[in-house]
Amino acid sequence: MTTQAQAKLKTEPYALGDFLSWIMTVDHKRIGILYLITAFFFFLFGGIEAFLMRLQLAQPGNKVLSPDLYNQVFTMHGTTMIFLAVMPLAAGFGNYLVPLMIGARDMAFPKLNALSYWTYLFAGCFMYSSFFLGGAPNDGWFSYAPLTENLYSPTHGMDFWIMGILLLGFATTIGSINFIVTIIQLRAPGMTLTRMPAFVWAQFVTAFLAVFSIPSLTTAVLLLLLDRQMGAHFFNVAQGGSALLWQHLFWFFGHPEVYILILPAMGIVSEVIPVFSGKPLFAYAAVVYAMIAIGFLGFTVWAHHMFATGMPTTTLLFFAGDTFLISAPTGVLFFSWLATIWKGQLRFTTPMLFSLGFATMFLIGGLDGVHLAVVPMDWQLTDTYYVVSHIHYVLFGGAIFGIFSGIYYWFPKMAGRRLGETLGKWHFWFFFIGMNLVFMPMHILGLEGMPRRIYTYASGRGWEIWNLVETIGAGVIAIGVLIFIVNFFISISKKATNEEDAWDGFTLEWKTSSPPPAYNFAEIPSVRSRRPLWDEKHPDLADWKMEK
Amino acid sequence: MKIFSRFAIFVGLGVLLSGCAASSPTFLNSASLIAGHEASLYWEIFIETLIIFILIIGAFIWIFIRDRDRGGKKIVPPQIYGKLAWAAVPLLAIVLLDGADFVAMARTMFAVAPPAASSQDIQLHVIGHRWWWEFDYKDQNIVTANELHIPVGATVQITLDSVDVIHSFWVPQLTGKTDVIPGQTNHMWITSDQIGEFLGQCTEFCGTEHAMMRIKAVVQSQADFDAWVANQQKPAAQPKTDLEQAGHTTVTTLCASCHSLNPAEPEEKTGPNLTHLFSRSIFAGGTYDLNDANLRSWLKDPQAMKPGNDMGVTLSPAQIDQLAAYLELLK
Repeated sequence: MTTQAQAKLKTEPYALGDFLSWIMTVDHKRIGILYLITAFFFFLFGGIEAFLMRLQLAQPGNKVLSPDLYNQVFTMHGTTMIFLAVMPLAAGFGNYLVPLMIGARDMAFPKLNALSYWTYLFAGCFMYSSFFLGGAPNDGWFSYAPLTENLYSPTHGMDFWIMGILLLGFATTIGSINFIVTIIQLRAPGMTLTRMPAFVWAQFVTAFLAVFSIPSLTTAVLLLLLDRQMGAHFFNVAQGGSALLWQHLFWFFGHPEVYILILPAMGIVSEVIPVFSGKPLFAYAAVVYAMIAIGFLGFTVWAHHMFATGMPTTTLLFFAGDTFLISAPTGVLFFSWLATIWKGQLRFTTPMLFSLGFATMFLIGGLDGVHLAVVPMDWQLTDTYYVVSHIHYVLFGGAIFGIFSGIYYWFPKMAGRRLGETLGKWHFWFFFIGMNLVFMPMHILGLEGMPRRIYTYASGRGWEIWNLVETIGAGVIAIGVLIFIVNFFISISKKATNEEDAWDGFTLEWKTSSPPPAYNFAEIPSVRSRRPLWDEKHPDLADWKMEK
Repeated sequence: MKIFSRFAIFVGLGVLLSGCAASSPTFLNSASLIAGHEASLYWEIFIETLIIFILIIGAFIWIFIRDRDRGGKKIVPPQIYGKLAWAAVPLLAIVLLDGADFVAMARTMFAVAPPAASSQDIQLHVIGHRWWWEFDYKDQNIVTANELHIPVGATVQITLDSVDVIHSFWVPQLTGKTDVIPGQTNHMWITSDQIGEFLGQCTEFCGTEHAMMRIKAVVQSQADFDAWVANQQKPAAQPKTDLEQAGHTTVTTLCASCHSLNPAEPEEKTGPNLTHLFSRSIFAGGTYDLNDANLRSWLKDPQAMKPGNDMGVTLSPAQIDQLAAYLELLK
């Protein structure tokens, strides 16, 4: 290899010139970038589906989508955003950052890492091919039995969904095991568990959640596959099966899944807020314990998705009380973020805006979640637009804002140049205003009695105006996405600056070149505290002198 | 507590009343004891969470303004690490609030628990079909669809069953929802203290026409209800003219494979009981007003009005005239 090529590889290790090298790569950073780009495309698909639904619902009796197509679109919107967009976006950050943050050269199993990505890509394309092969799945991302049985869902859409979910579960499981082993085994000297960045902790907890919850989903879809393809009747009531069995299996996965989606974003926010406040994360130990507690409690609340199924009062009270408890560790996180910005020197950069947007929007999602946990209110509000509002404050205002915070924050590390700050701030405000236009009126619609998952609705119930406002809001969000795409292309068309430490960061990834070489660190760093870079920049105030 | 909840209702109404239209089927505009309890619980917890929201957002904004980087020289802010014990502050506050919420919740749940069964109760059997509602009054020997009638003030004990997939029964102003699950008989009760018509619909996704599976609950005086019952118990009207006779023949042959003309026949067939079709104000899963024009266009092409529903017949214009003539007799 010539020295020129070596120099090029050092500054532009991700150049697209060598296409094959991207296919063959086992470098965690390249795989991370593949995850992020692929997941962004699926995020666009899911967004287009959301926009189609909003067009259909802009006024009563619209005929943008036929009833069956609407059902396919809302099913694929949920499935896409959860399995093909938010989870892999988080996995992309995890892949890129975990080895860098703990001072490792790669993931523990680089080839498994590649297998995980390619399985995910295949599963996503496989599911989407169903649109052209007889119809996409149309029973919702939750796919309640017995609606999913052959009798009621005769197209192959459900079979595509089942096989896709099996493959994605496989990809996530091996990816999660990879994270767990990497974090346990490959930490740099001195990087004890109690010195790991909060983001790494979030990925660590998330990986355990995935490993323990996905088997339940795998079981459920396998049983359904047996029902559909081999005439078994696990969920076939007429033959003695149980309709509710599906719901228990599904939500035993489905609730931890919510935390699989939100914890990595909480981790990102817990990195970004301290850096742009110029302070350490307040009560780091409490944040870590809170994330672990959220992980544990997440496994004990699944039946709060089933309050209307006719459960006995004792069971209802247990699951409601348990659900209330999750507010306690979540409150600890808010307390920590507030105390972190307290007396800081706050730099309102785009990553910081998205992180603070996360904190405020997720707060709304948490508080209206309390409304839903209260059993008699859930009887009124479950399966209405109130729930749609709640999950989008958590997953759009929460997870997606956290992920965009991460994109703006680590883009200089990945690409060697920053995303534009001015366009970034426009992007933020379009997202912030747009999401509130879409999702705040959904609270009112839920209270006004509008069920979710309906392709049209009656006029004269006071629902028209809010649906119209929401459709306009969806347009505002779409403009935000376009601004981001423009920003991305402007940025990568500029010359790389390759600044190592774009934001005055604290953690190890900022200690190597941007983008980092394939081996990450010329010399494995040795770590004495939670903020190794802070210590270098402020030897008098080094953390290892202050921390206990 | 009562003063607090009154105050809460007052403030809450001020905040949201502009949002909730008066015509909406919202439990906040309750027509029953149950929905009334649920509404006051909602306002209590809404006000509580609103105060928490204002406090936290206020703290964020205050700190944003006070501690923002004013573009001067770079300073090193105080490095505050924060001990684990600090977690006790949010934990204690939240556990106390959770406890209060739990008590309020349990109190409401016991307040809306079903009363002891009495022979005065009306027994209503709700059966979910894709995509319409069947209502069977066991003691009265009545089978009807989509539109249910109850007398004001009566206790109605409901059992819920499904013949196909999971549905959910919800009339917000009367009570919260209960799922209608195949293979599992669920129970609920309703009562209403207000004469009027209350709208609801299926709230568990049940396939193509989930959106068109609606309910109208008619709460009427005891006298009106008794009159309604007496009428529903009558056999189907007999055809008089030739046109009606031809329509009757079609109903008892072609239509009879899916629809019944016997007022008390529990529904094992695919479609709603037709015995007193025109005593109802709505049809097609409660989606359309029942009148001559809508009926004719339905008979002409049911798939155009409700794509995916089970009714697929091709009728000649003459047959449609005959059917309309007879069906409109069925009051």
